[in-house]
Amino acid sequence: MMGLFYMLVFPGFIFLSVFGMAAEYCDRKLYARLQNRVGPPWFQPLADFIKLVSKEEIIPEEANPSMFKIMPVLALTATITAFFYIPAWGYKALYSFNGDLIVVLYLLTIPTLTFFLGGWYSTSLYSKIGAVRALTQLFAYEVPLLMSILAPALLANSWSLSEIAKFYAQHPVYWFFNLLGFAISMISLLGKLEKVPFDIPEAETEIVGGTFTEYGGKLLGLFRLGIDIEAIVGSALLAAVFLPFGLGLPPVAGFLLFVLKVMGVICTLSILRTIFARLRIDQMMAFCWKVLAPLAFVQLFIDLILKWIPLK
Amino acid sequence: MHKVVIPIGPQHPALKEPESFSVTLSGEKIMKFSARLGYNHRGIEKACEERTYVQDVYLTERICGICSHSHSTCFTQAVEEIAKVDVPKRALYIRTLVGELERIHSHLLWLGVAGHEVGFDTLLMYTWRDREVVMDILAMLTGNRVNYGINMIGGVRRDVSAEQAKAILKAMDTLEERTKYYIQVATQETTLIQRLSGVGILSHKDALKLGAVGPTARASGVNRDVRRDDPYAAYSEVKFKVITDDHNDVYGRTLVRMGELLESYSIIRQIVKKMPEGPIITKVPRKIPAGEATSRYEAPRGEDMHYVKANGTEKPERVKVRAPTLANIQTVAKMLEDRQLADLPIVIAAIDPCFSCTDRLTGIRQTGKRKKNVLKWEELHTYSITFYKEHGIDFTDLNKKMAKALK
Amino acid sequence: MTKTKEESLQGELIKNFRFLDGKITVSRPRRMSAEVPPANFREVLEYAVDKLSFTMLCAITGLDETANLAFIYHIAREDGIILNIKVAVDRNNPAIETITGLFPGADVYERELVDLLGAKVEGLAKGSRYPLTDDWPAGEYPLRKDWKKNDTKEVTNA
Repeated sequence: MMGLFYMLVFPGFIFLSVFGMAAEYCDRKLYARLQNRVGPPWFQPLADFIKLVSKEEIIPEEANPSMFKIMPVLALTATITAFFYIPAWGYKALYSFNGDLIVVLYLLTIPTLTFFLGGWYSTSLYSKIGAVRALTQLFAYEVPLLMSILAPALLANSWSLSEIAKFYAQHPVYWFFNLLGFAISMISLLGKLEKVPFDIPEAETEIVGGTFTEYGGKLLGLFRLGIDIEAIVGSALLAAVFLPFGLGLPPVAGFLLFVLKVMGVICTLSILRTIFARLRIDQMMAFCWKVLAPLAFVQLFIDLILKWIPLK
Repeated sequence: MHKVVIPIGPQHPALKEPESFSVTLSGEKIMKFSARLGYNHRGIEKACEERTYVQDVYLTERICGICSHSHSTCFTQAVEEIAKVDVPKRALYIRTLVGELERIHSHLLWLGVAGHEVGFDTLLMYTWRDREVVMDILAMLTGNRVNYGINMIGGVRRDVSAEQAKAILKAMDTLEERTKYYIQVATQETTLIQRLSGVGILSHKDALKLGAVGPTARASGVNRDVRRDDPYAAYSEVKFKVITDDHNDVYGRTLVRMGELLESYSIIRQIVKKMPEGPIITKVPRKIPAGEATSRYEAPRGEDMHYVKANGTEKPERVKVRAPTLANIQTVAKMLEDRQLADLPIVIAAIDPCFSCTDRLTGIRQTGKRKKNVLKWEELHTYSITFYKEHGIDFTDLNKKMAKALK
Repeated sequence: MTKTKEESLQGELIKNFRFLDGKITVSRPRRMSAEVPPANFREVLEYAVDKLSFTMLCAITGLDETANLAFIYHIAREDGIILNIKVAVDRNNPAIETITGLFPGADVYERELVDLLGAKVEGLAKGSRYPLTDDWPAGEYPLRKDWKKNDTKEVTNA
């Protein structure tokens, strides 16, 4: 019974949906204010969602209906599942075992795969190009992201997020050495969330809506919700690995601190997307492989050295 | 690799006006590009032949929403040349003033659109906010934000007061400061430069061969500007530089347009300072003597050309319009050779296309073979009135009331 | 009195093409026009482009002069001088040669003449039409003076 509550209400589906929409609102409002616009009212993400859900579902005649329908659901479930392994407040995640870091990263890859499959099975030309771009982009940002998160894990000597959080809470000095990794993973996260400058798979001026060109109504609503939650989970992951402060606080304060951390990451992402222009896919690949990946290696080396020569 | 042909348009988010392009892709690379123009064809040249000269001034103004002043000035210049009218100096200055204000609003608009095409929406929001400054000035001077309606054969219809001149100068200071900031953004912002430089290359030789005009040509090092080469209005009396650039790419076109913005501010300052006193319009007979004239005008997008032939009546025998985009659109295929799909929107946008200028002429749609569905225009008119009557919208009473009130 | 630039260009053209004597006018500074018979059009144009550096084609205007169709080639020099070369051809056989060899950009201008005036442009590469719709009826040329617009509209009412 408790498991069902976890899954559906807190910290599962309902909590994440509300949090995701709140984060989307913050993102959009901040983006608008930075662009000198008024921006949406606070209920806009919810209104958008309700509007989309109440609309008719249109599936292209040539599309594979079951694949077309299942993809948004898959994206949503994968992101929600990933959240259970992230220590949101306190040291311990809801579920935790040695190796959950890998599982979280794997679960966070699934949405991109569903974008690809959803786009591919829509059979529209724009969707297909968007789908191929999404997959191409995956190969570019995934490696730096993985390496930059791997480095702190190496230093903490554990594959469990809860263990990593505990380690850094006990040795706060080491946090400072992971700042480079934090920056790298932040940029990679922009790619994962397909936001400017990495919104190449859905570049509207080139390929209309990219992957989501053919999606509408409930399915698009689910996809959008999935992306919102992915943003939360991704930010929470970064917060857990790179910002391990105040983990010993009492539940309510700890929870508020967690929300603050996630919002901090989200706001940084919005600022980043305000100040950049969209890159081309070849430029994005070059940037990820030639700049981000080597930098992630540097981070890896820093942590390896720290492991051999402890600070104390 | 597998080849796909994707349609861009007639309706597409990257195009603000309907026009159809077809792009053959191999992966992300563009193999072939072809354009089908004509979607905005409205028959203006033919319509001009059936209207009087005064009506045509307003009709040519509606060839394009952005460079409306360009077309009407170009047309009135041709007619004035045939009729051998001496246009008052002050009128020429006011035409130049509005023309330059139009260039400012057009270039700022372009900068925003370019930002949007490369996914840099912040630039769009900022430039369009500043564009409001010049739009307000235009509204103050002419009464309209677009389609100013200030030109008339023989002069202009509205004078510029001293307070208005002061407001213009103040706006120029604001805009100059903002433009300098945008130049800084464009020359220093890395992602923007990456998306613009090296994209849409048009060599100097190709620009000459394909007959490119305006900023597109000047960014390929073609030193050509009608304002200097074939001065009209008050351009022979003001000092300005013709901005050229040898980057040959979209980045160069951006720099040229921003440089021209700064030049426009300086031209406007000179115009306001030097503007002579006097009448703003002379009387021109309704019937224009037979003759012909070719008129050129440097519109924001490049050289605009009108040819007018008069036959001694009140209606022109022939009006020919060649809008700048028609000359530039042919360079796009060259610019897109071996480029990426992602470059397509910005390359097309970089010539600042204006398809309603380009496709200005079409006849009326011919009736099909389905006789049953054919309605005469009057029948359609009656049909629409009865249709709305049945749906509760009836103007009969209102018409009667209005008629009574008039008596 | 020294000769103006326009007058010397005029003299140059007449010297090389005797038949142009009296056919070239200078209406105002920077505006010249010439009437050229169709047979000599090509050589005059090539001479003006190559030797007199009229390097830019502004536009091609098509005119309906009842008996003839006339085509005016507006070519310009860098210093702002425009030369309007007018060629009149028989209305029943309005054949002209393409100039896309000299000006590749002339392509659309010539297509426009084909669509709107029914000119026969020899040597024009095949391609999509401009600017009329693909289903435009054959033999209807809107810019001809005898063309009557059909003022009926097609409506698709349910």
